[in-house]
Formats: sequence, structure tokens, C-alpha cells
Amino acid sequence: MYVYLPIAEISVNILVIFGLGGMVGMLSGIFGVGGGFLMTPLLIFLGVPAAVAVGTEANQILAASVSGVIAHWRRGNVDFKMGAVLLAGGLVGSTLGVEIFAALRALGQIDLVVRLSFIVFLGIIGLLMFIESIIAIRRARMPGARRGRLHKHNWLHGLPLKMRFRKSKLYISSILPFTVGMLVGILAALMGVGGGFIMVPAMIYVLGMPTSVVVGTSLFQIIFVTANVTFLQSVQTQTVDVLLAGVLLIGGVIGAQIGTRMGAHIKGEHLRGLLALIVLAVCSKLVADVVITPQDMFSVEILR
Amino acid sequence: MRMRPTLLPLALLAMLCLPSAVPSIYAQQTLVADLDKRQVSITTDFTGADLLLFGAHAQSADSDLVILVEGPTSQVAIRRKERVGGIWVNTETATLVDVPSFYQISSTRPLAVLADRDTLAELRLGMAQLPFRLAAHSAISEGHINDWRAALIRNMEAKGLWNEDANVNVRENVLFHSNIRLPANVLPGEYGVRILHFHEGVLVDETKSRISVAKSGLSADIYSFAHQNSVFYGIFAVVFAVAAGWLAAWVSVRFFRR
Repeated sequence: MYVYLPIAEISVNILVIFGLGGMVGMLSGIFGVGGGFLMTPLLIFLGVPAAVAVGTEANQILAASVSGVIAHWRRGNVDFKMGAVLLAGGLVGSTLGVEIFAALRALGQIDLVVRLSFIVFLGIIGLLMFIESIIAIRRARMPGARRGRLHKHNWLHGLPLKMRFRKSKLYISSILPFTVGMLVGILAALMGVGGGFIMVPAMIYVLGMPTSVVVGTSLFQIIFVTANVTFLQSVQTQTVDVLLAGVLLIGGVIGAQIGTRMGAHIKGEHLRGLLALIVLAVCSKLVADVVITPQDMFSVEILR
Repeated sequence: MRMRPTLLPLALLAMLCLPSAVPSIYAQQTLVADLDKRQVSITTDFTGADLLLFGAHAQSADSDLVILVEGPTSQVAIRRKERVGGIWVNTETATLVDVPSFYQISSTRPLAVLADRDTLAELRLGMAQLPFRLAAHSAISEGHINDWRAALIRNMEAKGLWNEDANVNVRENVLFHSNIRLPANVLPGEYGVRILHFHEGVLVDETKSRISVAKSGLSADIYSFAHQNSVFYGIFAVVFAVAAGWLAAWVSVRFFRR
């Protein structure tokens, strides 16, 4: 069943899109990740223009994060004060990001920049996850190994404009969460990702937040940042395809339910190793696309 | 060949009408043609459209037909890649104006055989004859202009938007038909159809028609909403996603968890 996507302006089999949403939804159910960092490149592989893939993903992640945050909110796992500072940075960053995005698009370089950004981030994350899961698998075989300290004080915690975050049990400079939020906001606009995969480690290792409130608080920030990106991309670049986002979302909801159940039956370390391999596979396809000599040195775009 | 049933009565009609026209080849009317449809709707399930152009003409030896379908013009950007530090980067862009977004030319014999270069150029027949006009702000190194022109033709052909072939079928020296394939990525607008009758390389008759391509249905509504009211579209996209996310959470709790 073929559907003509109004903004992407391509005709695609709706079942493929639905299946893609389901597959990435399943992965996010198993691993508890947002999935934007896999969905955007996969949409590009399907032939969706990179700019539309990015704009549309922001819209889909907004929906996915809304449904995710509700559960965390009920359990009281959201530090609203910390979320607000992260968000302030996120709004600045994402607004800046959409400006950069629009400028790169006008120059005809957005496609390459999106691909390169994904290569860098997927490469780093895939490798880190892969190494970590190997260490974890080894450690599981050696009982008695000790975990290191999670929260260390360093020069970053001595910066001015200190604020007290009761829920996170922290008294730190507000410049830190603001900067983290801003960097993630830029990524959200440029790559169509929620940025959880950067923000969650940063919240734990840089800010020193307790793990229990990290996911809920990051989702809170992601909701408002992706809402901002969706709105600004709609106004400035017209790259948000609500039809595509809707179909992906339906597949994603079903996939996430299946994934959550599957996740309970598979070992964590092996699971993470598997996700690392998927991430690295997507990354190498992106690398191949920009390195292999194209069949035609010229490309043509109809501007109308 | 689903159009055969419509061709048969037409053949009979042509047989009855044309013998009187044959002696006077150079008379005013040597050509009748029609399309099986003149309206094409780009709906949500649009995957392209096939049209049949058919007609009859007073054919003799050394007679040729050319059928040209030309879509609305648009701006086109051609980008050239170069290897920079191991990766392929778009390094040069040429912006062209007045490029036909669709150009399909079909003839009984290859165009080069059918008429001389000047005639073809004057009538704008053939992909090589199309104007190559750079936008005011755009410039390319003059030495490479033919590479860019060839790249435009090659890429437009690959997109299924430009085509040049000698696939006009003539039966019994009278009836002709040709297929027009509009791919899924055609632009909406008015498509001009010209049917030209050549005799010994000279244009003797011409008839024109139109195809109107319009977007309709959900996809068209979304497209025009996004482009004409982008602020409200943005608000709509946000509200839609929040509502969908909320609904998804509710459905998950209600139906999936025991």
C-alpha cells in the first residue's frame, strides 16, 4: 500500500514505514532509549530527504517522550527545577540549531552535515557501548569485582551561579546544566534526536545526579526542546511531515510494548552489546555513503 | 495495452473519414489527436500516472510525428561533488531558471534523423535543445558548461522526468498512439502537449492539448497547510504529537499491562 508523503514528497510503502517504527520502537522498549538516533539515519536510507528526516523525527520524539514522561511523573522521578535549567539551555540551543540548519540547507550542505554528525555520534556511542558491554560481561564472570564511585567533585562544581536542586540532592553551578541543555538542544535541531543518549550520561557523570531521576528529568527537557524544534522547523524550513510522524508513532507504540516484554527475558550485557552492534552497523553504512565514490558527481534538485 | 478497445472504434472512424483527406497532404488539417484523460490528481496513494495519446493523421512516406509533453518550469540546482579529505562534498552549485520540470518527447524516428539541427533548435525539440539559463547570482566555470548540461539531462532522466525516445507507434499509416508516463514526483500544474507533423523534415501541421495535474486529498491538504500557514502548522504538529503521545501512554496502560 503506497502513500505519497506530503512533505518528504516521495511515494513509500506505508507498511515499510510502519515496520520501521515498530522495529525502532521495539529497540527502544528493550533498551530504554529514545530511538531517534537510529530512526533518522534509517529514514535517510529509505530515501527521505535528510532535512525532512530530521524535522519529522523531532515531531515523533515529542510524541514518544510525552508518553514516556507520564509514567516517570507518576513515580515522582522528575526534578522539575533541574529540568527547567536544562530546558532554558535547550531552548537557546535548539533555536540556534534551527538557524544553523536553515543556513546549511540554503547552502546545500545539510545532507552532508547531518550524515557527518551521525557518523561522529553513532561511532563514539557504539564503540563506548561495545567496550562497556564486553567489560560488563567479563565482570559478571568474576564475582567480587567492585564498582567505582559515580559522583566525583572537580573544578566544574566550583563555577559561580550556584543553585540548590533538592530532588537531585545537589548544590551546583547552574551554568553546568544550562550548558548541557544547550548542547543537547543544538543536536536535537541538527540531527532530529531527543539527545537522551548524550544527556543521560552527562547528567550522571558531569552533573552527578542520582540515576533514579535522570531519565524522567531528561524526558521532561526533551519534550519542550523537541516541541520547540518542531515548531521552528515548521516555520523556517517546512520539513515536518506529520503523516510520516503519525505512521512511525503507531508502529513505535506497538513495537515498544513488544520490546519491553522481550527486554525482561534477555541479559542486560548481551543486550547492550547487540545494540552497540546495530549502532555501529548504521554508522558504517553512513560512512560508506560519504566515502565511496558516487556514480554521478552531479546531483540535481528541483527548487520550484 | 488496456486502451485497445478504445482504439478499435477510432480506427473504423478514421478509415471512414480519412481517404478524402489523403490526397491533400498539405491542407490545413492533417492531424487529429486526443488523450484518454486530461486531469491527473496527485492523491495520497499516487504512484504516478499513465496516459495514452492517440490520434490519426494523413501519413505518407517521409512523414514523421513528434509528440512533446512539457511540464511547468521551475528553478533547478545542480551540485557538483568533489573529494575533500576523503569524503565527497558538494563544492559547486549552479542554479538554473526556466527549466521544464517535465519534458517527454516521443517521435516516429529519432529526432536527429527527422529534421535538421536548426529546425529542431527553433522548435525547441529535444533535450539537448532546451535552454540552459543560469540564475542571476549563479556562475560556473565556462569550460565545463557541457558537463553541467549533460549532468542535468542525465539526472532528470534518472528521476523519470525527462525522456526522449522514438516510440510513437503508427498503424496502417494512419493511426498513431504514444504512452505518457508521469512519475510519482511530477510537479502540479498545466502540462502542454504538442503533436507535430513533419513531412520531409518540414513542419506541416501542429495540434495542441493540455493535461492538468493537481494535488488533491489529504497529502495535498497537508502540503498546502505546511507551506501557506506554517505557524499554525507548527502549532498543529506540536499539539498533534502531544495528543498522540498521551493517547499512546493511555492505550499502553489500559490494554497492554495487566
